Amino acid sequence: MALKRITKELADLGRDPPAQCSAGPVGDDLFHWQATIMGPPESPYTGGVFFLTIHFPTDYPFKPPKVAFTTRIYHPNINSNGSICLDILRSQWSPALTISKVLLSICSLLTDPNPEDPLVPEIARVYKTDRPKYETTAKEWTSKYAM
Amino acid sequence: MSALEASGPVTQTCKEGGRQQSSGSIKFGELIILGYNGHLVSGDKGRRRSKFILRKKSVANGVKPFKKHIVKNPQASQAVQNCQQHSVSYTLSRNQAVVVVYTRDEDTDMFQIGRSSENPIDFVVMDTIPGNQRSAGDNVAQSTISRFACRILVDRNPPYTARVYAAGFDSSSNIFLGEKAVKWYAGEEIDGLTTNGVFIMHPQGGFSSSSKPGVWREVSVGGSVYPLRDSRSAPLKNNQIVDEDNILHDGTLIDLCGATLLWRSALGLISSPSEQEFAKLVGTMNAGRPQCPVGLMTLVLPHKRGTLGVVDKQPFVYLKCGHVHGHHEWGQKEDNSRTCPICLTDGPFIKLQMGCELSLCVDSALPSYCFSPCGHMASENTVRFWCQVSVPHGSQGFRALCPFCACPLDSYPGFLKLIFQDHTD
Repeated sequence: MALKRITKELADLGRDPPAQCSAGPVGDDLFHWQATIMGPPESPYTGGVFFLTIHFPTDYPFKPPKVAFTTRIYHPNINSNGSICLDILRSQWSPALTISKVLLSICSLLTDPNPEDPLVPEIARVYKTDRPKYETTAKEWTSKYAM
Repeated sequence: MSALEASGPVTQTCKEGGRQQSSGSIKFGELIILGYNGHLVSGDKGRRRSKFILRKKSVANGVKPFKKHIVKNPQASQAVQNCQQHSVSYTLSRNQAVVVVYTRDEDTDMFQIGRSSENPIDFVVMDTIPGNQRSAGDNVAQSTISRFACRILVDRNPPYTARVYAAGFDSSSNIFLGEKAVKWYAGEEIDGLTTNGVFIMHPQGGFSSSSKPGVWREVSVGGSVYPLRDSRSAPLKNNQIVDEDNILHDGTLIDLCGATLLWRSALGLISSPSEQEFAKLVGTMNAGRPQCPVGLMTLVLPHKRGTLGVVDKQPFVYLKCGHVHGHHEWGQKEDNSRTCPICLTDGPFIKLQMGCELSLCVDSALPSYCFSPCGHMASENTVRFWCQVSVPHGSQGFRALCPFCACPLDSYPGFLKLIFQDHTD
């Protein structure tokens, strides 16, 4: 089912791309994609373009895709390796989710970080105790790495 | 005995004439056995089918009570011995019986229903096995349906009133109520009930979305109406309900103890969709290109019975939430329930099947609901109607069932709205 489903998702993305996002295969391998997310306007990431890699498992969509940032980003739920702490990419994965929906969820995560379930505790602490400092740092990182 | 001799050997060619039903003749109505989706499990053949269409006979074959006699031994009475002469014998004691002789009625047509495949039976009805208990070689070991269960007499002239009576005439044109049957003889009146009884129920408000189920009653051999006995074959009757009658209305259910029939009048059937209308309704739903949220393939709803040959287009549903999917294995639990990928609710995952016996539909709306637990699809009003209809079951029980497969419905509500992922293009 995997290849058929990935092909269908690619066609749907081409026809009806989600706002602020794009995604597609890197080369001939349909199981390896690259995606971009534009920093959401309501967030300190605005103006940045963030690149992600997507690896589909052979039993996709019954197992979640592996999604990671390749662009560095200052965010409580995204670490320096680009790993994303997002429940739908782990325990709450459902085969009814698509790459389009996953990218939209990541956009939401950029706007609304979840400091209660941090991947980088230090950033979460700053986010909770000194919001202006978090905003400034995030903007700095965005200018530095994503523009 | 003189009255009988006076009436003489009535020439009854009507049986032969009556069987010849030309398709062009007037249709009185239909009797549909609940639990078959347009065909018997073994296929429809001759007088054994899932639905019987009552048409005006070329020659009237109805009969009506004419004279009654008290005899010592009904088997020896001439009325009983004469195969052309319809009669009902009520055995009162070992050596006393009342024989009611019937005479031809030019104004009615008679249709007989029962388990027997003998000639006088127009519509052969066997015990219905619920859809969830059917297996390959299913035959009921013990039947509770009488061989000559009931008869229906329809006026040959408008408005073609149809009436149901308990018991049917056998090959010798006799009905025998034995010593143990419930019967009563008071004044001029003689009547009785059959062993397992014939029950009727008129939905209040007809066969429509707004109607409410009525109360089940029992009809006698003579066509009077009684409250149900304490249990199905209890030997005591209650008092007659004089302000109710045995006239069939569109939507009346007839229970033969083992099978339940729905009466649809020719006029009432107008509210049910025709084959073409129904194909169009299903076409509308398919035009939305519903897709499996997991496989993302387009699903196709069949408008005829059976399932699709193409496995990956067959729709399935999660019974707890109503999300429609194609077939896949994700989320399977140990207890055979599944997790819905859309809403993560656990519950059974079953194949959707179209309810194709259109005479069971109360309206011509989209079949966007299904019964639970069997997955037969029908319109909202149709599923709501059947969920509130309790059908006799066993000797004194009642239960709601899917009219398309006779499977007992899950407790409240017994149906669900289907949620399609469609119009995505």
